Amino acid sequence: MNETTTKRKSIWDYANPTRFLALADRLIPVLGILTAFCFAYGLYLGFTAPEDYQQGSTVLIMFIHVPAAWVAMMCYGVMTMSAIGTLVWRHPLADISLRAAAAIGASFTFLALLTGSLWGKPMWGTYWVWDARLTSFLVLFIIYLGIIALAKAIEEPTMAARSLAIVTLIGSINIPIIKFSVDWWNTLHQPASVSRFAKPAMDVVFLYPLLLMALGYSLCFFTLHLMNMRNEILKRRIRTMKMGAARMAERA
Amino acid sequence: MFGEHAAFIIPSYAVSALVIIAMCVRIMLQYKAQQREIARLEKAGIKRRSAK
Repeated sequence: MNETTTKRKSIWDYANPTRFLALADRLIPVLGILTAFCFAYGLYLGFTAPEDYQQGSTVLIMFIHVPAAWVAMMCYGVMTMSAIGTLVWRHPLADISLRAAAAIGASFTFLALLTGSLWGKPMWGTYWVWDARLTSFLVLFIIYLGIIALAKAIEEPTMAARSLAIVTLIGSINIPIIKFSVDWWNTLHQPASVSRFAKPAMDVVFLYPLLLMALGYSLCFFTLHLMNMRNEILKRRIRTMKMGAARMAERA
Repeated sequence: MFGEHAAFIIPSYAVSALVIIAMCVRIMLQYKAQQREIARLEKAGIKRRSAK
């Protein structure tokens, strides 16, 4: 085989939106089915699990609260990588990925805050405390809203992409703060109980449904993200077509 | 079924389901609308540069 036929696939092959759209069209149904399976099996395991000896039936809220919080942070991770992709490599899909993820990330952050608050009332006796974990998570929500607002505020595409990437990078400082807030400060929120170097501090009857739901939420995020990236590409295509038409009309 | 905490569990699941489903529906409707818009523009004789 010569060099041209053995060319390695890289992210630059998908810099071509048409090629990316073809890949997205193939991936979206598969990811959607996997998401549905994880949700169905995870919910089945969750609802058939016994009550926790301390949390009682509210442990059920954990199966949707923890995955939402993980995905909210993972989404910001994806956006941070996209921001680097825009600033360093100027990859055409990086800005599309960042924009497409922002609203999804904000939604999952909202869900994590809401379900956490609804769990907090019966377990802690309060919907909200201004402790480090809760406050830093609220800051994440505000950062998401800021990014969404900024994305709509700047018209010129190159300038918008750079500004969004810079703001996203600055906001990424909050992610390690959220992660380690429970270790650095004395918080009401409990420290990590799944991602520990030692054995998770949880019985498998709760761990399995939690992990399945976390996988379901992550797959759901990637499905929605791909779908939204596809929308963003079409939006730009429409914009280009309309601008071309306007130029032609001007010349005529 | 959920005992005394039903008032906290049910809204948690209901709102989570609602938000996730709403996101799906919104993104799918947007996709359909954009496909229609591209078809309309192409019908009007407007082409993308790369599609010439």
